Amino acid sequence: MTDWLAPAEWQALALSLKVALVATLAALPPGIALAWWLARRRFVGKPLLETALMLPMILPPVVTGYLLLQWFGNASPVGRLLTALGTPLAFRWSGAALAALVMGLPLLVVTLRTAFEQVDQRLEQAAATLGASPWRVFIGVSLPLARRGLIAGAALTFARAFGEFGATITFVSAIPGQSRTLPVAIYELINQPDGEAGALRLVWVSLAVGLLATLGASLLLARGARARSEPAA
Amino acid sequence: MHSRFPRWALALVLLAATALVQAAPPTLFAAASLKPALDALAKAGALGQPAPRLVYAGSSQLARQIEQGAPADLFISADQQWMDYLAARQRLAPGQRRNLLGNTLVLVAPRDASLMVDLTRPASLLAALGQGRLAIALPDSVPAGIYAKQALSALHLWSDVAAQLAPSRNVRAALALVVKSECPLGVVYGSDAVSEPRVRVVARFPPSSHQAIVYPLAIVAGHDNPASRALVEALAGKRAAAVFRHWGFDVMSTPP
Repeated sequence: MTDWLAPAEWQALALSLKVALVATLAALPPGIALAWWLARRRFVGKPLLETALMLPMILPPVVTGYLLLQWFGNASPVGRLLTALGTPLAFRWSGAALAALVMGLPLLVVTLRTAFEQVDQRLEQAAATLGASPWRVFIGVSLPLARRGLIAGAALTFARAFGEFGATITFVSAIPGQSRTLPVAIYELINQPDGEAGALRLVWVSLAVGLLATLGASLLLARGARARSEPAA
Repeated sequence: MHSRFPRWALALVLLAATALVQAAPPTLFAAASLKPALDALAKAGALGQPAPRLVYAGSSQLARQIEQGAPADLFISADQQWMDYLAARQRLAPGQRRNLLGNTLVLVAPRDASLMVDLTRPASLLAALGQGRLAIALPDSVPAGIYAKQALSALHLWSDVAAQLAPSRNVRAALALVVKSECPLGVVYGSDAVSEPRVRVVARFPPSSHQAIVYPLAIVAGHDNPASRALVEALAGKRAAAVFRHWGFDVMSTPP
């Protein structure tokens, strides 16, 4: 089993899983807050925020990576502060996770925002009239009712984070064990005259991870649907 | 159909089509490191009128595209292995390959850095690097990175710096990391150091420490026509040689 992939390839796969998982978990709090805010509030500059959030989906990933390097690189003020705090991002796996988070966040926000918009606001009002605090209403009513959007959005974010290449290699290079993720390893193999077989093997691995993530999300969604229909039965 | 569309008309259409095809300038696929020099040549009109269409990318990407039938007439690769790759697949016009240019390998630092490096002493390189990383192109796949790995290995420096590398997708990306002071040092081509005033050469790798850096030029199979040959002559000519030298390249064959 372990012979199936070379040690460097296992390392790239493990790193990609770690980066994508951390990026997805870290994207949830800001993603949920932004989706809620965009779904329920009206405020000055809302279109501006919406556009800014979508930028990573519109810009070439290389540009996003370049901007991340500009803002969070070791030579930037933020980078110097992070280095002083002992948590530099540039050329680290944490930087790869940041790049993946930035690229994945729009998918989470768009999906979850739609889900929030479809929640019946009368249910929220009913909970509020029964004395529930706004936070309680959000945690007990709104978020559970939007969970399908949450699951789908998280799955999309994970998939995007797992496959991220352009922003990652521009921001944090291709350092084995830190930022040489699976897509970077595939890119390297394609750039070698005899690398096709290895690249193809890693493409199959990527495909399997993507399928598992989608399948996991579908199972969660199906369980959610069953749980909802049971009380009626 | 034959009676309604006379043969002479068909011949006329074919003739017009041929004329149109011949009027279109040739397309040259070239390694990205040649961009400053080739752009300057095209702008000066030294590559014929109308100027050829210039397409730049990594040699590996260009070679794979040509293999898949991309509309290139000529190809300049940054190394021999990708030209060999196309030759092995019968994608090059026979007898139309030549070594056009050479390049050197240098160690660069940001312009205002005051350090110097003695490549014969590992301590010197490590001291200059400090906690920083050495920017290079991907050392197992991108030509500039392959040469860098060879040179550092030959100088017994590779094992010392292996844990402190910042491998980039191509040599220009490695150069950019040094320009932005993200890396205190980088290994790039001599021509890159010439075209980028924001870096300074702090050491030169001896040519004996790595395989010769050669840019072969070839005509793509099926595109060996007068326009392609004229462009080859222009690229190998005296005027081009002066421009290539100005941009930091070695000119391999002395033009007639």
